[in-house]
Amino acid sequence: MKRALPVLVLSVAGLIPVWRYAPSTGTTSTTEAVSTPPASSSGSSSSSTSASGSPVFTGTTVTTEKGDVQVQVTYDGDKITAVKMLKQPNHPQTTAAVPKLIAETLTAQSADIDAVSGATLTSDGYKESLQAAIDAKGA
Amino acid sequence: MGFPVSLRIDDPVVADETAKETAKETAKETAEATGDAVFAWLRAVDERFSPFKPDSEVSRYDRGELAADELSADLVHVLDICERYRAATGGAFDVRLPGRGLDPCAVVKGWSVQRAAELLTSAGLSRFCLNAGGDVVVSGGPWRVGVRHPELADRLCAVLDLTDAAVATSARYERGDHILDGRTGRPVTGIDSLTVVAPTLTEADTVATAAFALGADGVEWAAAQEGCEVYAVLPGGRVLRSGGFPTADAAAA
Repeated sequence: MKRALPVLVLSVAGLIPVWRYAPSTGTTSTTEAVSTPPASSSGSSSSSTSASGSPVFTGTTVTTEKGDVQVQVTYDGDKITAVKMLKQPNHPQTTAAVPKLIAETLTAQSADIDAVSGATLTSDGYKESLQAAIDAKGA
Repeated sequence: MGFPVSLRIDDPVVADETAKETAKETAKETAEATGDAVFAWLRAVDERFSPFKPDSEVSRYDRGELAADELSADLVHVLDICERYRAATGGAFDVRLPGRGLDPCAVVKGWSVQRAAELLTSAGLSRFCLNAGGDVVVSGGPWRVGVRHPELADRLCAVLDLTDAAVATSARYERGDHILDGRTGRPVTGIDSLTVVAPTLTEADTVATAAFALGADGVEWAAAQEGCEVYAVLPGGRVLRSGGFPTADAAAA
């Protein structure tokens, strides 16, 4: 005999925001700093232009369901040396995927089983337990 | 700790009626010797780690008679696990509650029974079911493991179909409100019963106890632990389970 159980799938869709990095739209200095690493001869301390030293780029703010996200990226030549979150959602679940939980109604059943999982049984509780019945059958 | 332990070994040679008598005898002797080793190990663990025995390593450490660098590698390992889960639950799971002695039982039990199962595996046994006080490790299934109904002691609320896995349940029914929320020091009441299936019993038992200490939030927390599937009965008879919880096909039950 089968019984239909009401099953409710709790929707947790969208708890994992997709963080997109959108670089600030194409200024000339951005393009040059990313595509052209500075030659070592021109990398002396006298070269004072910030764009060829450690350029810092700030992304545009991206709005997600959990809040605004904005990142800042620091380059050394063509290498990213630091990424800083300027804005991030204040939500504990931004780093871990949250599993879907399924809601059901409690049922009481009997079945042919090999073992019973339950909270720690005392020796007295064991005598009355299903596990004791299973062990008696096997002994 | 003093929990009842049931061990069933069903390795093919032991169970095979047509196997040669000598092979059967040898296999049976191996199984029996390993079974004895399992029980001896669990008794030794109780002597070493019980906080209720004044001469145990745990009690001596708690009284300051042993320094941290004098502890056995096993106890260091257990205390490391305790600390990891204390941090992961924001202090809800804590083996050092104020006004109480050090009590790592929740971790010791799962860890020691897992080690017992590994004794069986390393003796070449590949099909067994070990139940230590409601904590179950199975190998070489199919095994059917029931989860005790939280209110009706002789009924089940779920039946699992397992091959190689560990199952642990934390609940309020057997010993009352014995799990405390380390953040408040008060008994946990948000969950009636919480069962975790994991690759090892060390994980299953610790995650079940830690999740129980977290209260209602613990169900989602447990489900997010790597390799863990969860089944929880909440007050009022509501059940929450993770999508991969290995319940047996209802039609086969």
